[in-house]
Formats: sequence, structure tokens, C-alpha cells
Amino acid sequence: MSTDASHEVRPAVDSAAGRAARTADAAGHSPEHHGGPRRKGLSERNRPLWMLIPGGALMIIIIVVPLLLGIYMSALNLDQYTLRKWISAPFIGVENFVEAVTNSPLLHAVWLSVSYSLLAMVVTLPLGIAAAIATQNAFKGRAVIRSVFLIPYVLPSFVVATVWRTILQPGGIMDEALATVGIHVGLWLNGPQTFWTLVLVQIWASWPFIYLLALSGLQSVDHEVHEASALDGALWWNKLRYVVFPYLKGPLALAFLIGMLHHINNFTLPYVLFGVPAPADVEVLPILTYVTSFQSFRFGLSAAMAFISLVLIAIPLFVYLRAVKLDDAETPGAKK
Amino acid sequence: MRFKSTTGLAAIVTAAALALTGCGSGSGTGGGGSTNADGKVDGTGKTLNVLVGVLSQYPEQQKQWQSDIAAKFKAETGADVKFETFASANDELTRIQTSVVSGQGPDVYGLGTTFTPTAYATKAFVTLSDDDWKKVGGKDRFNQAALGISGPDKDHLAGIPFVSRPFVMAYNKDILAAAGIDKPATSWDELAAQAKKMTKDGTYGIATGYKDNFDPWKFIWAMSVQAGNPLVDGNKLKMDDPTVKKAYETYFGWLTNDKVVDPAAVGWSNSNAVAAFASGKAGYLMMTTSSSIPTLDKSAIAGKYEYTLMPTIAPGETQSKSDGDAASILSGDNLVVADYSKQKDLAFAYIKLITSKDEQLNYQKIFGDLPANAEALASLTDAKLKPLAEAAAKSKATPFTGAWGDIQLGLLNVTVQSVPDLAAGKVDGSALEQRIKDAQTKGQASLDRASKG
Repeated sequence: MSTDASHEVRPAVDSAAGRAARTADAAGHSPEHHGGPRRKGLSERNRPLWMLIPGGALMIIIIVVPLLLGIYMSALNLDQYTLRKWISAPFIGVENFVEAVTNSPLLHAVWLSVSYSLLAMVVTLPLGIAAAIATQNAFKGRAVIRSVFLIPYVLPSFVVATVWRTILQPGGIMDEALATVGIHVGLWLNGPQTFWTLVLVQIWASWPFIYLLALSGLQSVDHEVHEASALDGALWWNKLRYVVFPYLKGPLALAFLIGMLHHINNFTLPYVLFGVPAPADVEVLPILTYVTSFQSFRFGLSAAMAFISLVLIAIPLFVYLRAVKLDDAETPGAKK
Repeated sequence: MRFKSTTGLAAIVTAAALALTGCGSGSGTGGGGSTNADGKVDGTGKTLNVLVGVLSQYPEQQKQWQSDIAAKFKAETGADVKFETFASANDELTRIQTSVVSGQGPDVYGLGTTFTPTAYATKAFVTLSDDDWKKVGGKDRFNQAALGISGPDKDHLAGIPFVSRPFVMAYNKDILAAAGIDKPATSWDELAAQAKKMTKDGTYGIATGYKDNFDPWKFIWAMSVQAGNPLVDGNKLKMDDPTVKKAYETYFGWLTNDKVVDPAAVGWSNSNAVAAFASGKAGYLMMTTSSSIPTLDKSAIAGKYEYTLMPTIAPGETQSKSDGDAASILSGDNLVVADYSKQKDLAFAYIKLITSKDEQLNYQKIFGDLPANAEALASLTDAKLKPLAEAAAKSKATPFTGAWGDIQLGLLNVTVQSVPDLAAGKVDGSALEQRIKDAQTKGQASLDRASKG
């Protein structure tokens, strides 16, 4: 039963990962490693690695080549004047990097991106876990509730953002509703509050993802464990804290990782909610990179920005992957 | 215990698939080169690719027009025309960038006038020679004012004018009359004074949208130019000039000091302003074009409104200091031919067809845009179009530099970042100055690159 559940949930995880190209790279490791346990008698030497060639070739074309091109571009003075013959655009070394760090809102954007992602994550985690636990035991209409829970996750970002923009516009539904109870919040889509608007909408859109993974973790708790803890007389909190939560650690660690990357890479939500140029309080990384590239035509500079942010994200990601051992086949960390 | 979310999963997969197909819109490739036979272009068996913007107000008519013109073109040259459309300015930019880099894509592009300098800077479009001009029917056939933003100077023109869409303001005759105003304002000061008279009981003097993606910079540009500051002077950006600050103060002041604009306008785009005006709640509708005619004619104020030139005398002045009145930015659509196109003659033949007098008049009838063809423009007799035609003649081009996109973005950004202050009812002078200064710095850097590029 537990295997069944994990099989059903994994495609969802993978499709979520597939939305952000870089995320897919990170997440793609875990299923491969899980598929090759030693008990099948294959030594590491005899693994049929050649079977990875088609996938590997695609990865090179889709990820490695553009990445290298991007890095090369970041060393070029590439703008609308040189775009046409971009290969021969003037080579300016690290000038773009210097400009990105010293004379652009890049660091501010990194700070905004990371803090907004973390905030959204911190709120969605308990929400998702609570929802998963609430729908753990069978009751009438559970299937419906579970489907309803998934709606925010299934809706395309564009739709989510468009609907929320309509709700939050000045004098819109939200303002009217709050006004009836005497609350006047002010502008949602402009000014300092935009940051919180972004966090709010992101929470609404992404908690079902946590819920999904928490559910997968709960499904892997064997019946015997429930019975044993009941026999030992554990009450609900103790049971949750010491019996169930340890099972959730792996899936939730994965959810945290994918969720963070997804939030940091989320372009559609802020773009559709706030438009371009974005208010300074929501000029997150993807928006900044987009504006620099496609509005100001500074392709070299924006490539440098993208590269810096990639490195900035990769460092904690690497440390984190090491810490939770998602990349280790021997430790059943991701499983439990 | 089974997790029944197959429908959910299916939906996810479908959504992902949709997203993927959305990304990979195919681009057709045209045939080979075209040949000249006795002055006529023979394009038998060839396909000309044309990229134009979607006219979201007239989707059916646009399709009809496209198939009609394709049939005519086929009869004339034997070649097919395949139309591709872009939905937004961003979409347009992306398409152009892709084509510029890859050296393939549409043969003919329809571009907004303010984007023409940026497109010209990429050098990916044909700068027309005298011979090329002959192929599109001669330079003389066009309204000469419309050529103002086709290239950096008279001898280097890449944009072929297709339609003019000058900006004017509309006014509600009843509201003006009720306030005892016999003639619309010609200076910005007068406009504010008149608007104050009209503002009462839920009616506002002016309808405008502060969250529009284009309008704000057009106001600032117009007021600055009319005060004698064309913003770009050679390689110098003059956004830190007092005239610019004065322009912002006037524009924001309608809401904060004069209180002649609905406070909700901080969240409005142009279409919200049109709607407010159409409901009879505003005396003036600023920064509008002939494209508002269909909406207004179907509204409660049908027959009660008229167009007129926007004020041409800068705030605090008594006469225009600009050479020419700068009643509007030079606005409309230009056509450009891709440099990589292997069937340029066919492209020119197509442009010749759609800029001919008859076709231009036909286009005006269907879509409302003014002809760029001089003869067609002169033959318009509709009284409602008179102020529009006048605005077209008194339009002034925005500076022709590849940096204009950045400058425009900077001007707009000042408004975007000021909106919270606007909503609070007061835009702090020093904060405004700081925002203008930031825009000046960025815009100047962009100009510096342009002069090197």
C-alpha cells in the first residue's frame, strides 16, 4: 500500500518540478537513485548507465548548452545595438557582473525573492500538513474535499494572478468586503504592501503542493504503527509528534526545497499581478531579469544577473541537499 | 486509503501540456527570392509573412480585412500573405528579438511608432533607398508629418507609415455647458480650472488612469516639450530639468491638489477612464484616440461628446514654447521590412497595396485609425475626425534614439512608484525629485550606450 501511494504521488512531484527547468534538474536525481537499490544485485560498476544517454543528451541540449551560452552572454556587451550579430558582440569580461552588483537593484531583488519565498513557505508548511492530516481518515465526501484542495494548485499561475488582481484592485471585492467590517487596508497592487500581497497570493496558490507531499508521507505510515501507538496509549498530539511527523520529514524536506525554488523562480505571479515596471517592493529576481532583458535590452547585464542569482541559490541548495541527503541512495532519508 | 486524484493529476498534466504548446508557436518560413517582371512583382507560389498586432476591439473585422487584403494581393502578385499576430507590446518585443537573433521570421512587421527607434537600432530592418521608396509608391504619398519617427534623419528612414493614431481629449458637452464653460481648455492651467468647476456630486472634471502602462509618460513628455524641453538634447537627457518636475506635479496635482480626478483612478488603466467618461461621470477624458469611438457611441453619452486637441500650453505658461504645438506624440503604426527577408520586393509590393489611398480609406472606415496616406487623409470629411486630423498634423515625434525605450520606462516608473503617495493624497516633493533623479541616471546611462552603439 505504501508503495502504491508513493507511485501515485511521484508524477505530481515530477510535474511540479518540471515547471521550473532548474528545479527539474535538482529533483530529477532522487527518483533515479531510488530505482537502483543494491538488493537487485547490480553492483555500481554494472549499472546500465548507457540507458541514460537519451535523457542525458536532452539534458545537455535543454539545460547545459543554454547555461553555458548564458554564461558566455554575461561577458558580452549585448544590447539592442549588438543583438543582431550577437556572437561577435564586444567582450567586456566581468563588467556586467560589476554593474549588476554595484549599480543595479540586483541585491535588493535577491533579498526580496528569498524573503518572500521563505515567508510563503513558512506559512504553507503548517497549512499543508494540517490539511493532509484532516483528510487522512476516511469520512463521507473526503474525495471531494481532497479534489477541492487541489484546485489552487491545478490552476495555471496566470489565471490565479489575474483573478487575484481583479479581487485586489482599488475598490475591488477585497476592499469592499473589508470595508464592511471597517478595515481599510489601502493599496494592494502598488506601494509597500505589494510585498505582502505577493506572499498572500503565493500562499494561496502553493499550499496544496505541501498538502500533496504531506499526504504522500502520511500514506507511507503503516497500519501497524498506528495500531502500536494506539496500544501504547499515545494521545493524538504525542502520536503526531513522535510517530507521524518523523515519517513526514523526507517528503516535507523535498517539498520545502522544490517549493522554495519554485517561488524564487516564479515570474508569472508577480508579472501578472503588478505589471511592468513593477513597484519597487516586488521587483523580485525574475521580474528584474525580465525587465533588464526584454524592456531595456541589456541582455549581457541580465545574463550576469541571472548567473549571480543562480550561484546564490545554488550554494544553500547544495548545503541543504547535503544536509537532508536527498541525493543519497543508501540513506532512506527521502523515503521517510 | 487510496488517493483518488486522477482527475487532479490529469488536470495538472493538461495544464502543463497547454503551457508547453503555448511556448512553441511555430513560425512558417516563406519561399525564396522574388523576381521583377516588367515592374510588376511576380510572387507566384510564394508566401509573404506579416506580423501585426491584434486589434482586440475588432477581432472579426481584422480577420475579414486580412483575408480581403490577402485575396487582393494574390490577384496582384500571385503570392499568398500569411498573417501572424501579437497580443501585447511584450509579445511583440519577444517576437522581434527572436527574429533578429535567428535571422528568420516575418518579412513585414507592423510596429508602434515609439518602438521604431529601438527596432532601427538593431539594424535588422531595411533602411529604404530611393529605389525602395519608389517600390512602395513614393515618399510623397505619405503624410509628411507621419514620417517624423521613421528614422533618425530624412535620408535614413526604415519605418513606412501605415496609420496615425494621434492622441486627443474628449469632452462631455453637457457637463461643460452646465459648468458654464463655452469652449474646451487650450492650456493645462485652464484645464485644471475648468475641471474644478465641473467636479461635484460624484462627477469629476477629468478622467485619466494613473496605472496605465503608457499614458503617464505621454503627459509628462507633452508638458515638458511644450515648456521647451524635448527631454533628449543630443546625447544629454534632460529629465532633471525643472519642467519635468513641474509636469509631474501638474499631472499628480489633478488628484492631490485640485481633486478633479476620481481617487480610484490610482488603480485605473486607460480603459477604466474611458468607462468612467462613458458613464457620464467626467467632463474630460484625457489621452484618448479614435479607438474610443465605438465604446463611446454605444454608451450613455453617445452624441453628447466631442474630441478636441489636448492643451498645448505648458503648466504655468501662457504660450507654447515648442516649435510646433506638440498636441500629441506622433503615434500610430509603422511598417518595417526585415533585412533578412529574401522577398523584399514582394514585401514592398504588399506595403504599396495597403498604403494606397483606397485601402487606407477602407481601413479607416473599419478600424477608425487615420490614414498615413496624404491623399486619403485630405479626403476625410467627417466632422468628428477633424480634431483628430488636426492632432495628427500637430503631432511631434518622440526623440529618435535606441535609448527611448529606457527613457520611457523611467518616466513611467516615476509614476508607478508614486502611486502609493498619490493614493495617500500627497506626493512628497523630495521623494518625487529622487525618483526623477533615478530615472535621469538610468536614462542617461542608456543614452550613453546609444551614442556608442
